[in-house]
Amino acid sequence: MAQTPGDAGGVGPDDGAFAPDHRARATWTSDLSVAEAAAVRRVGLVPAGFVMGTAVMQLAAAGAQLYGQWGITGQSPGRSGAYAEAYPCAHGYGFGANAQEHYGFSVEDVTLAASLTDGYRLAIDRLDAEAAQLGAHGVVGVDLFFENLVGSAGTATFFARGTAVVHPGTPPLPSPFLTNASGQHFERLIALGYVPVGLAVGVGAVYVQPNCQARGSFTIVGPNRQIPAAIAVARTRARAALAATAHRSGDGVVHTEWTDRKVNRYGESWDQLTMAVGTAVRRYSTENVPLSPRPVLPLRP
Amino acid sequence: MTPPPTTPGITTALAALRTPFVPGDQHTFVSDLTVGELVLLEEIDFRPVDIVSGAGSASWNPQFTTANTEGEMWGRSIATAIDNARSGILEELRSRHADGVVAMRFELERERASLLTCTMLGTAVQGTGRRPSEGHPFATTLSARDFHLLVRAGYEPVGIVIGVSVVGFAARSVAQSLGLARDNVELSDQTTALYSAREQAMEMMEREATQLHADGVVEVQLQERPVNALLTHAVEFIAVGTAVCRGREGHRDLAPEFQLTLDDPPDATFSDT
Repeated sequence: MAQTPGDAGGVGPDDGAFAPDHRARATWTSDLSVAEAAAVRRVGLVPAGFVMGTAVMQLAAAGAQLYGQWGITGQSPGRSGAYAEAYPCAHGYGFGANAQEHYGFSVEDVTLAASLTDGYRLAIDRLDAEAAQLGAHGVVGVDLFFENLVGSAGTATFFARGTAVVHPGTPPLPSPFLTNASGQHFERLIALGYVPVGLAVGVGAVYVQPNCQARGSFTIVGPNRQIPAAIAVARTRARAALAATAHRSGDGVVHTEWTDRKVNRYGESWDQLTMAVGTAVRRYSTENVPLSPRPVLPLRP
Repeated sequence: MTPPPTTPGITTALAALRTPFVPGDQHTFVSDLTVGELVLLEEIDFRPVDIVSGAGSASWNPQFTTANTEGEMWGRSIATAIDNARSGILEELRSRHADGVVAMRFELERERASLLTCTMLGTAVQGTGRRPSEGHPFATTLSARDFHLLVRAGYEPVGIVIGVSVVGFAARSVAQSLGLARDNVELSDQTTALYSAREQAMEMMEREATQLHADGVVEVQLQERPVNALLTHAVEFIAVGTAVCRGREGHRDLAPEFQLTLDDPPDATFSDT
């Protein structure tokens, strides 16, 4: 029988049926390098098994909602309460004949941002469930990403994978900690007095239909505001999500992998995307030992 | 199975995770620093505050640039795009009462032939135990590692400085453009344009550094781009660096320890080069 999420027969990611039963195995697997495994062991943890969470998502099409903004003037909260701003013709042609080629607007694509956030969240939750099933205390070196597979337009496959680790002799935690930091960075984090809590994810998306100036027309030059504003909004949304996670879980977010991406859409328009994945941390001790790194100069041949 | 030797921290760290966390008005930070970079900052008494960013974008008309003339509007547009990004990030630093920004990602993206977008993103930091920056935070293109070394060596960054220049050169003949020329000669017009652009860009950068009362500029990144289109023959020269000042105590010798690794050199047998 094919395993599908939410299957009535009880096989689905939510009930853990996708997670292989590692307990029956005599050994463990991991995607740690030898140096990472050594670092994790120095901290006092041992690998429990390679864990993965995945989800194939259909990215909701928000075209109608975006094009519904055509013709707006000024800055408005948009239909969904999100950022929307009109950029009329910079030549001052107004809305007259042929002016539609000069008119531009930017609208926050909350639908796309929500699709991406949901995909990340599902992958993380399933990774977390696999780790919990192994009795792990945490997962280190989590690689969180998505792929757009050729021939699967409008979909994205989300992955979260890493190595579950356990502290022998200590009862399991209510929920394992997750970090995208490598084994060595995890060791430094613990030495610094911080413990990872979980992954922090932030996504921002702004649909940009450029006006004549943001399109690079030779006849109207100088600074344009539309492109920087779209970048600023996408980044602000991602940053706000990270800050909210930091506030909910402890003291801050470190090790953020920050990605700005332009995804071409219809005609000259594009989605200005920002995706940020970091580790939320909590300070457990202020008595960290100063490390005082010593400057060295390697004498290479 | 015998438990491995345990660092004293891990037991306490796991115990902290067992206690439910109640969000309050605690100070939280967001940073894109790696853990190693966080350690380096804490070692020199800086702590992260937030991720800050700035962006600027501008376009120009690249046509009709003539030989030995500076494309003023073109160069000014590029400088404006970079300056707007720099101003944006300084504004965010002020709003967060931060002392400066480190681990900066500085990117110049050419959207189209004559449209350039400059983006900056980094982690705002505050010096613990330092005097407030009095509304004059510093921006820098330095990595957290280089910032750490700079501070330990007795210097402090004061700002990002830029220099931009675009200089035109004469069009080549049709035969030259088609690759039919048979002489090995220097295209002295283009060489001169490149020198001229370099000179003007560096002068602009020095002017900015002087305005900041800097002792010097480090980590200068250069981007040079010749543009040879039908009606456009010019060379762009962009220089971006970090202006630094020597601290009150002057230069401090880092006294690096020389290290001779006992590794064998990498095996070149399967190397691509």
